[in-house]
Amino acid sequence: MSRRLLAPFVGIVGFLALWEGVVRVGDVRPFVLRPPSRIVSYLADHFGDYASAAWVTAQHAVIGSLIGLLIALLIGSAMAASRFAEQAAQPLLTLLQVTPFVAYIASVVLWLGSGTRPAVFIVALVSIPGFTFSTVDGMRSADPAARELLASVDASRAEVLWRLRLPSAIPSLFTTARYNVGLALIASYLVEGGNFANEGLGAIGKRAAALNEGDALWGAIFSMAILGTIALLLLSLLQRLVMGWHVSQRTRPT
Amino acid sequence: MDAAMLAATDADQTRHTRLGAITSLHSAWMSGIELRDLAKSFGDLAIVDALSLDIRSGSFVSVIGPSGCGKTTLLRVIAGLEPASAGGITVDGGSPRAARSHKRVAMVPQQPGLLPWRTVYENARLLLDVNRGANPPEATEPTPLLQEVGLGEFLDSYPHELSGGMQQRVALVRALTLGAPLLVMDEPFAALDEITRSEMRSILNRLVEGRSVTVLFVTHSISEAVALSDRVLVSSPRPTSIVADIEIDLPRPRVTEVEDDPRFVELCAAVRHALHHGMKP
Repeated sequence: MSRRLLAPFVGIVGFLALWEGVVRVGDVRPFVLRPPSRIVSYLADHFGDYASAAWVTAQHAVIGSLIGLLIALLIGSAMAASRFAEQAAQPLLTLLQVTPFVAYIASVVLWLGSGTRPAVFIVALVSIPGFTFSTVDGMRSADPAARELLASVDASRAEVLWRLRLPSAIPSLFTTARYNVGLALIASYLVEGGNFANEGLGAIGKRAAALNEGDALWGAIFSMAILGTIALLLLSLLQRLVMGWHVSQRTRPT
Repeated sequence: MDAAMLAATDADQTRHTRLGAITSLHSAWMSGIELRDLAKSFGDLAIVDALSLDIRSGSFVSVIGPSGCGKTTLLRVIAGLEPASAGGITVDGGSPRAARSHKRVAMVPQQPGLLPWRTVYENARLLLDVNRGANPPEATEPTPLLQEVGLGEFLDSYPHELSGGMQQRVALVRALTLGAPLLVMDEPFAALDEITRSEMRSILNRLVEGRSVTVLFVTHSISEAVALSDRVLVSSPRPTSIVADIEIDLPRPRVTEVEDDPRFVELCAAVRHALHHGMKP
C-alpha cells in the first residue's frame, strides 16, 4: 500500500522539482513560465474559491458522464442486438466523436441557457461515443458457451442482457471511463468558460486568461490536474470493488 | 411468479395427457429421444442426412466419430437450438422446441461457460435463475450436488480460482440441478488432462447411476465412450450417419477398475474397428 502510493508521489514531486529548478536556474521570466511553488502558494491563498469552483466542475463532469453512460448503454444494447441499428448509429457516433465540441458550445448555451445545463449536456454528448463502442464490444465478447447455455433453457432476451451481456461489458466500460474522465473534465471546463454563469474552474480560467492573470490561470490548471487525479483514483477504487473477479484486478498470480 | 409456474405446470400436464395416448406404445421412449430420417443442412451443405435413432429413457448413449462430422449440430438440433431441415424428431415426448422451453434438456458444453463474476454456487444455479417460470419440480438446490462432486469448500470461490476439472464439475452440477430428464453433453472433458478425465468419468458415472436421466454424450475418446455408456453409436464423416451401434454390456455401477477388464478392451477394439470402417469412403 505504501509503495503503491509512494511511486506516483515521487513521480509528481520529482517533476515539480525539475520544473522549479529549470525556472530558477535558467532565470525564466514569470510570464513565460512561473515556478510551481508560486502557483501552489497562490492556490493555498485562494483555497476556498478554487475548492468551490472545483466542486462545481466535478459535478458537471460526473452528472454528465453518468447521463452519457446511461444513454450509451441503451444505444449500445440496441446496436449489439441488431446489425441494422449498429450500421445506422455508427456514422452518427463517429460524427459526434470527431466534431470539435468547442465549435458548438455557444449554440448550446444559447439553446439551454447558461449554468449547469449546457455543461452537463455537452459532457454527456462527448462521453456517449466511447461508452457506446465499448458497450457493443463488451456485449459481443460474451462467452459463446454461456450464450448457448442460456439459450438452451430458453432465457429471455432481457435475461441474457442482464445476466450475461451487460456484465460482459463492464471491463471495456471501465477502460473507456479512464479515457472519458479527461474528456469530461475538459468539456466541463470549456463550457464553464463559454457561458455566463461565472461558476466552475472554467470560468476562473477564462476570466484569468482575459485579464492576463497568470497566477489565477495556472491555479485553475493545477486544480484541474488535482481533480483528474482524484477522479482516476476513485475510478480505480470502484473498479476494484466491482470487478474483483477480473484478471486485471488480481495482484497475486493464480 | 407462482401463477406463471402454475400455468407452466398446467401446460405441461395437458401436453403429457395429450401425448400420453399417442406415445403409450413407445412409453419406454417417453423421456428419450427419437429421430426419424432426420436431416439438417446449411444451404447446400448436408450435415446430417436421413438419421434414424431411438434412445431409450434412462440410458447413457455416446456418439463417437471423426472431427467435424456434425455431432455438435446434431446435439443443437436435439436441444432445440437449431431447427431440423427434414424428418421427425421427438425429445421427451414432444418437439425439441417444447422440451427447451420447459427446461427438459440440460446441456454441458465443451467449454465450461462459467460466468467469471459469479461464485461457484451462483454459477451452479445459473440455469435455475433464468426463465424461472419453467423450473421443473425436480429442480434442486446446487449445494448438496456441489458437495457430492467435492466442491463443498469452494461454494464462494470464483471460477478463476478453480482448476479446469473443477470448473467442469461446476458445469456438470449446473446441468444436474435442473432435474431435467435429458442430459446433453458435447465433449465436456475434451480440454482436460488424462488424469482429470479419468476422475471426471467416475464422477459422472456416479452421478448418473443414481438418477433416472437419459444422457447423450458426444466424444472423441474411445475409452471414454466405452467406460461411460450403455450404448456407443459410431458416426461416419459428414453427413452424419450411424455406421455401428455397439452395446456396452459392462456391469454397473461402473468403477474405474472396469477399464482393466478384458471385456472393456474388446469393446474398445470393436469401437475402433467400426470407426476405421466408417472412415472409408
